[in-house]
Amino acid sequence: MVVSLSESPLYPIANPKSIAFFGASNNFSSMGTSILRSIISNGFIGKLYPIHPQEKTVLNLTAYPQVLDIPEPADMAFIVLPTKIVAQTLAACGEKGIRNAVIVSAGFNEVGGEGVERQAELLEIANRYGIRFTGPNCIGVVNSHARLNATFLPFEGKPGFIGMASQSGSFITQMFSYLNQRFGKSFSTGFSLGNEADIDLVDCIEYLGACPNTKVIALYIESIRRGQKLIETARNVSKHKPIVAFYVGGSETGKRACLSHTGSLAGPDRLYDGVFRQSGIIRAQSIEEMFDFCYALGSSPLPKGNRVIIQTHSGGPGAAAADACGRSGLELPALSTETLEKIAPYVPHTASVNNPVDLTFTKNPLDFFHRIPKILLEEEASDGMLIYFLASERMVRQALTGMGLPEDAVQDQTAQIVDSQCQSVASLMETFKKPILGFSFMTRDNHFVAGLQDRGIPVLPSPERAARAFGAMVRYTRFREKILQSETESAGHFSAE
Amino acid sequence: MNPINTAIQNGQAALSEYQSKKYLGSFGIPVTREEIVQSSDEAIRVSATIGFPVALKACSPELMHKSETGCIELGLTTPEAVQSAYKRVIEKTSLPLEGVLVQEMLQGPREIVVGFTRDPQFGACVMLGYGGVMAEILKDTVFRIAPFDKIEAMDMIDELKSRAMLDTFRGQQPADLDTICRILMSMGQIGIQQPLIKEIDINPLMISPTGQVKAADALIILERK
Repeated sequence: MVVSLSESPLYPIANPKSIAFFGASNNFSSMGTSILRSIISNGFIGKLYPIHPQEKTVLNLTAYPQVLDIPEPADMAFIVLPTKIVAQTLAACGEKGIRNAVIVSAGFNEVGGEGVERQAELLEIANRYGIRFTGPNCIGVVNSHARLNATFLPFEGKPGFIGMASQSGSFITQMFSYLNQRFGKSFSTGFSLGNEADIDLVDCIEYLGACPNTKVIALYIESIRRGQKLIETARNVSKHKPIVAFYVGGSETGKRACLSHTGSLAGPDRLYDGVFRQSGIIRAQSIEEMFDFCYALGSSPLPKGNRVIIQTHSGGPGAAAADACGRSGLELPALSTETLEKIAPYVPHTASVNNPVDLTFTKNPLDFFHRIPKILLEEEASDGMLIYFLASERMVRQALTGMGLPEDAVQDQTAQIVDSQCQSVASLMETFKKPILGFSFMTRDNHFVAGLQDRGIPVLPSPERAARAFGAMVRYTRFREKILQSETESAGHFSAE
Repeated sequence: MNPINTAIQNGQAALSEYQSKKYLGSFGIPVTREEIVQSSDEAIRVSATIGFPVALKACSPELMHKSETGCIELGLTTPEAVQSAYKRVIEKTSLPLEGVLVQEMLQGPREIVVGFTRDPQFGACVMLGYGGVMAEILKDTVFRIAPFDKIEAMDMIDELKSRAMLDTFRGQQPADLDTICRILMSMGQIGIQQPLIKEIDINPLMISPTGQVKAADALIILERK
């Protein structure tokens, strides 16, 4: 276990002060050039040393004919070269005193045959010089808090809180726009692992577990190499930071000739279910779900239990949420008499004050963002809320215009009202320390949706997705309690002995 | 000598049911009362000691899935029934037998399966599931990697879809969950300590109407050299 972040071999890779870059040129279509261009355009603040045998400059940076010519041993070597010269390049980096690398080049274990020998050679060189590296056959690294985007697509959005390790090549970089455009979120740090010749998933869990900018860890897993170590590390990390994994059950390691029932039932999918649960890792059933879970877990306080109140002003989405809650292991408690009395003045006679609390319309539309959820959060029979958001800026504008305000005042006040309502929901979550998950069929074009999301209320695109994310938070709470309880008991045993 | 090493030296791919249960029993796993007999007279005598009703099973390390070959006779209530069942059981197979197993009949109907297998990435894996002949159809199974503690074992139980069956169920008392947890942990320990064991099935692990658990059948598969 790493004691401090800077001890991890991934620290210089995610936080380099200088990079020796191999494989960029002035040919704009090459992968290397494209990655170096991402690094530059994302505003990397460290030193960049492109190494190129002929060019004097690469993308307007001074280029060096060989790595020995650069003025310092860079924190990291980034290698995007033809397969055959990767090994000699890594050795030259070793000679220069470089101790960390990202190897993007492919043509190693993943192609079999000679590739396997080439990968063994890389490892041998790395061991000789004490170099730690990610890849080969990976796509790079991103650290939004250090303005580092060493991948081939442009980074989008503000610095984020999702730490990610991926065994799928370019998956990380493809998710930049997805996270930003749906949720206004991004990665804190992301590692693409490729063949995991050296640094693997377990190293990433350790690093991201210690990383202060990372609130939740996402794992895209195709196969686990250090099984026991993964369980041990993940149990340690998931005590204080949630881990969500999406596992693609490709590897049929369990499908050996088995004489027993147990052997034939131990397919990788069921086995990984157990491994994840034992490790405190939440398993997601899809990529979409993995990020929904990360988004909710990284944004909200944890629920103490599985009892949820649904607030809606439309029957369908409320019923859909109720139905999905049942399937996600959540309970919908009945409201107490006290709550019913408190809420009565704010709801129309047509409303059904049950759970879901379906308000149809509210006497004062803004009660939906403060008074009503406040009363529902005070309800002791509940551990959190799901709220359906359908309000639009236009409704506010129409109301203000109706009140006879001049056009420019309407504009100003609309923005202010939207803003204060979103802030109000966020403050409620903060005050009551109960999770509020929103859901809406509208996107970030709607200022309420964007406003809520930007103030830390997760808003998911459907009732089912919100309910499943709430279910994931409940599961995490339970897994965490289980691990903590287990530690307490084993500590008890030691002191008793 | 350790029964596992002996069996491997004899070229066995597995332990017989009798040997498997003796071995598991030595780790505190509750198993049926039973004895190996070589004649129908002996079978009748042992039945009386164990108490009727009894089960008779052909016993051989090569006979791994007995119910599929009909080498098993259940619920025998009289000496006459034991005598005729003995004949049928030994006629059903041409395999060389260790003998015929006379064992106490356990009451169900609740049955679970507990197992052990090895995975190349994770090592010793322990399984718990809904048991009996439907185990592979229903596939209500959960896994953990050994070693693990009682809290984790309890979490395995809670993860079962058929979890409710282990509480008060149709007039039957709750299953002895403490013992189930202990069995799950022992399975992992056996697997870690004994690398020559490849797989273990305890199927079914019967749960009596009073909640007691006992292995009605067991199979230990050995690593081939």
